[in-house]
Amino acid sequence: MAMLDHLALGFSVAFSLQNLLYAFIGCMVGTLIGVLPGIGPVATIAMLLPITFHLPPTAALIMLAGIYYGAAYGGSTTSILVNLPGESSSVVTCIDGYQMARNGRAGAALSISALGSFFAGTVGTIIIVLFAEPLTLMAQKFGPSDYCSLMALGLVAAVVLASGSVVKAIAMVFLGLLFGLVGTDVNTGAQRFTFDIPELSDGIDFAPIAMGLFGIAEIVVNLERRMTRSGAIKVSSLWPTREEIRQAIPAAIRGTGLGSILGVLPGGGPTLAAFSSYTLEKKISRNPGKFGKGAVEGVAAPESANNAAAQTSFIPMLTLGIPSNAVMALMVGAMIIQGIQPGPEVMTKKPDLFWGMIASMWIGNLMLVIINLPMIGMWVKLLTVPYRFLAPAILLFCSIGAYSLANSTFHVYQVAIFGVMGYIFSRLGCEGAPFLLGLVLGPQMEEYFRRAMLLSRGDPSVFIQRPISLGLLIATAILLLLMALPSIKRAREEAFQEEEG
Amino acid sequence: MNRLLSKDFLSGVMFIAFGLVTLYFGRNLAVGTPVRMGPGYVPNMLSYILLVLGLIIAGFALLKGGEPVEAPQLRPIVMVTIGIIAFGLLFETTGMLPALVALVLLSSLGGTEFKLMEVLGNIVVLAILCIIVFKVGLGMNITVLNGVW
Repeated sequence: MAMLDHLALGFSVAFSLQNLLYAFIGCMVGTLIGVLPGIGPVATIAMLLPITFHLPPTAALIMLAGIYYGAAYGGSTTSILVNLPGESSSVVTCIDGYQMARNGRAGAALSISALGSFFAGTVGTIIIVLFAEPLTLMAQKFGPSDYCSLMALGLVAAVVLASGSVVKAIAMVFLGLLFGLVGTDVNTGAQRFTFDIPELSDGIDFAPIAMGLFGIAEIVVNLERRMTRSGAIKVSSLWPTREEIRQAIPAAIRGTGLGSILGVLPGGGPTLAAFSSYTLEKKISRNPGKFGKGAVEGVAAPESANNAAAQTSFIPMLTLGIPSNAVMALMVGAMIIQGIQPGPEVMTKKPDLFWGMIASMWIGNLMLVIINLPMIGMWVKLLTVPYRFLAPAILLFCSIGAYSLANSTFHVYQVAIFGVMGYIFSRLGCEGAPFLLGLVLGPQMEEYFRRAMLLSRGDPSVFIQRPISLGLLIATAILLLLMALPSIKRAREEAFQEEEG
Repeated sequence: MNRLLSKDFLSGVMFIAFGLVTLYFGRNLAVGTPVRMGPGYVPNMLSYILLVLGLIIAGFALLKGGEPVEAPQLRPIVMVTIGIIAFGLLFETTGMLPALVALVLLSSLGGTEFKLMEVLGNIVVLAILCIIVFKVGLGMNITVLNGVW
């Protein structure tokens, strides 16, 4: 019953007053940014990285995780009430959620989405507990060449499942890897690309890059468009009818299942899960015509799916140290800032952090139901704050946060530089997420690559001689080949067009 | 001409430029051998891969054309960047308050609507908030106004 012991340890850590407080703060902030359109979880976590620097590691990670799944909750509120998705993962909820609200069922839609999310979050947490240990044990058998291949697979898969051009995304990964190499070479002590700037000798700090690329660039892109807001629909009773519950339950279960699977995949995550589960519901429904007119399933399934995926996307990050999307890359960054090298050792060497974080996710999900349902009116009011007030405030917190990293304005200027870079990336249709994944994995990947080559006496065939490494590389190659097939390419493009539209 | 201004062609050029820059600045790093790699081995390898990918992207864009790049609106990005740099400069010399005023003012000028009274109100609210959160709450070592607080 080692699993129960682990959970008991986890809950004892998570129920400490400090960790409860940070879980609560994380959930509140997550809900807040989920409600506010134009600022997503990636940008927010990036901006809060400097603050977590001053917290103990467990509290920091608990708070960041709360922001992530809190945003998935909060995003649904605005989708249902004002037809504005707060997050990309809630875009599909708009379709039927807003129609339900117009039919006078706003309260029911909110309850179904919150309870569906809570159910999915619970299942997601259980799945993490079940899979964490076997995966960790497996990962501990990995040699340097296996790790290198695993990272290659993770990076390629993340790219394939991201939207946009595959070649451009791969180029962004390599650019990220290169930026990750800035600083002192660990093996020889040589200075690489530091331009004699002492602040760069430890590498480019992760937080200012993330803040610039995601935070600043997002604000600038939002400033370019005029944002209009429509009035919110009044919420009456929160209780769904028996008929609505009967329709919602199977859909929530299917959404949870699909979301849990898609969350684990590299490049997957809440957005992909929500879209896929909506499509699934529409396909298996006996009455597909009702979708788009306020179908209960169209709310229950994607809302459960995005939350399940938000939970299970922690699995590859926690067990293997491989981030599967941009938010997980930021979590890896936060761990490195705290002096924790993500990977299979985290579970064995820091069990309190590992299990405490998992337990806190379940507690956080419970908190979110409470934060979201009774306090719904407060969140809706927030929607009326115009963006022209928010943008300077966000920039200000970013700048002060960057300064506080090392009490130096060097980081503030770095934020400005990477903001410009992020803006150029977004104008050229290059995604920031692959860059961030490359940046996070770059130093480790080089380390494993060099160690593998040293052990094999410079023979690159070591990567295909070890069975684990070979299998991973074959999987990588298959993924890349699949992308080149015309039929899959077309289907992928269509899927992402739907997403953007 | 349209092909030269497509998103794909320009991003290809950007990757090529990055590859050349890293090759140039990495030219003094010892490459070493595959067994004992020097500090320059991996950067060099990555730079060459980036160059090739950039050439592929730019080449395809020239042959097939692509989505044209939207004309950038310069005001938001320029004002925001100037705002952050001004914040950095003023923070060091005069303290947080003047830096805050400059950043909020400049970045508000980057938006589509600018009403002076609103911005002034925003400055006052944010100044109070920042002092409470960062100076009093988190107890950070920040100078609010140089020589005064």
